[in-house]
Amino acid sequence: MTRPARVAKRRQAAVVGIHALPFSKSIGTTERHGGALAILGALKDAGLQVRDVDAMFRYFWEGTTEMEMARILGVENLRMFGEVDYGGGAGPPVTQLAALAIENDLADVVVLWRSRNRSSGGRPWASQYHATGQDQFERPYHVARPVDGMAFHMRYWIHKYGWTPEVTGRVAVTERAHAQRNPAAMMQKPMTMDDYLNARMIADPLRLFDCCLETDGALAMVLTSAERAADLDVTPAYVTGFAMGSGPQMTAMTFFYGDELGVTPNRWVAPELWRNTGLAPKDIDVVQFYDAFTPQIPIAFEEFGFCGEGEAPAYMAEGKNPPYNTSGGGLSEAYVHGFNLLVEGVRQVRGTSTTQVGDVGHVLVTGGNVIPTGAVVFSKEQW
Amino acid sequence: MTMAADVETKPQFPIPIPDRDTQPFWDGCARRELWIQHCTECGKWLWQPRPVCSSCQTPEPKWAKVSGGGRVASWTVMRPPTLPAYAEMVPFVVLLVELDEGVRLLGYLVDDGGRLLKTDGIAEGLAMGSRVALRFYDQAGTLLPSWTPAE
Repeated sequence: MTRPARVAKRRQAAVVGIHALPFSKSIGTTERHGGALAILGALKDAGLQVRDVDAMFRYFWEGTTEMEMARILGVENLRMFGEVDYGGGAGPPVTQLAALAIENDLADVVVLWRSRNRSSGGRPWASQYHATGQDQFERPYHVARPVDGMAFHMRYWIHKYGWTPEVTGRVAVTERAHAQRNPAAMMQKPMTMDDYLNARMIADPLRLFDCCLETDGALAMVLTSAERAADLDVTPAYVTGFAMGSGPQMTAMTFFYGDELGVTPNRWVAPELWRNTGLAPKDIDVVQFYDAFTPQIPIAFEEFGFCGEGEAPAYMAEGKNPPYNTSGGGLSEAYVHGFNLLVEGVRQVRGTSTTQVGDVGHVLVTGGNVIPTGAVVFSKEQW
Repeated sequence: MTMAADVETKPQFPIPIPDRDTQPFWDGCARRELWIQHCTECGKWLWQPRPVCSSCQTPEPKWAKVSGGGRVASWTVMRPPTLPAYAEMVPFVVLLVELDEGVRLLGYLVDDGGRLLKTDGIAEGLAMGSRVALRFYDQAGTLLPSWTPAE
């Protein structure tokens, strides 16, 4: 039989619209409202209308469903929709779903967004007294916050790889410098290594500046096909490829019960990403690594193969790494479950970052690495 | 305690809500015993509790009582409490302990008598790989596996 038109020619997806509301400690509106405004901003950025939208994907933790958002905005029909779980692991995976929908001719204009009043809205674990599932073996011991899980990983990495505090301090200081060039970033105050070292412990060995911000923020992206992008007055960020991975014996944030301690799902995401994209670390001009906590950055450089296992401290100290988290990232721009990393990745392709890395061919953006996660590559050129 | 009672009364600390798959573990804790799933088909020790052996897929892996001896695989020191009930306890240490059987569990650092140590672990010479022995810490009526230095 004849191949359906849908699969006769594989299309390519491109990000054509981005928008972020101003980040703040208290945004003064609902997550629903913020999300709607971010989506309208991203559509305007793309030169598209609500009537063009035919698919939406969201983080499972997004409080407003696709159904509700489509209803609020007046979307005629969602041809495809869905959610990805696991907190900050979901950013690249929802982008992957959007790209797959477009590549397979299942949707033409896809909206993604993340709106989270994480600063003013309180802490999700503060009222959770009944511990079920994996929590029943963790929460009674006060292992409830993401930082509590990360502390066990970081202590192990310090032990295994001989990290000094400066290894993670360098990440905090670098991202703060990026934030100071970004007027939208929440943290504008300079930070020295001494500032980092002298800050209080939050969950030993994590100090204050090892931890991401608490932000109210709302951001959105719009994707469409490369063909349609050519008719828009934007510089498309083409989606070259992507990968997801859970790793074995996964538990969210407390990924330390499996056979091997210290590895993250990126050990499985990375080879799949390089296979999927046909690229290698040397092809990547700038990275946006998920950074709820500083130790995730050196581990990501190692697990994605930019350097060997245990080599990240020297690799980064010698400045051999591509620039990372050029907006200030989750540590110093805003923490909105990594959606700002996706948006910054698009800016680098467009050439509009406040810490622009020259003429960028490929940007790697990753999701949280101690939960099921993913990664995506945005590129300047089409396939 | 029934689920209805749970909903009505906010406990002081987060409390484990066992289910069919995890009940044998908590029943053991109530007797001050540590029970871990041990698949008799393939020999794999399993943590956290599960309805199927994830090594050989045998349903309902058997449970075995273990000594609880092990080594420190990692730890953190809790300082700013997230819930009011912990405020009197900080600083305290939560250990990741690798049992001699190979599985890793969380637990408090306690003294020989099972009392929580108000410490950052330095006085106890806490170190990666150091031997620890099982104790049970009574947290408002919930007996929680915890460990004490054994060297």
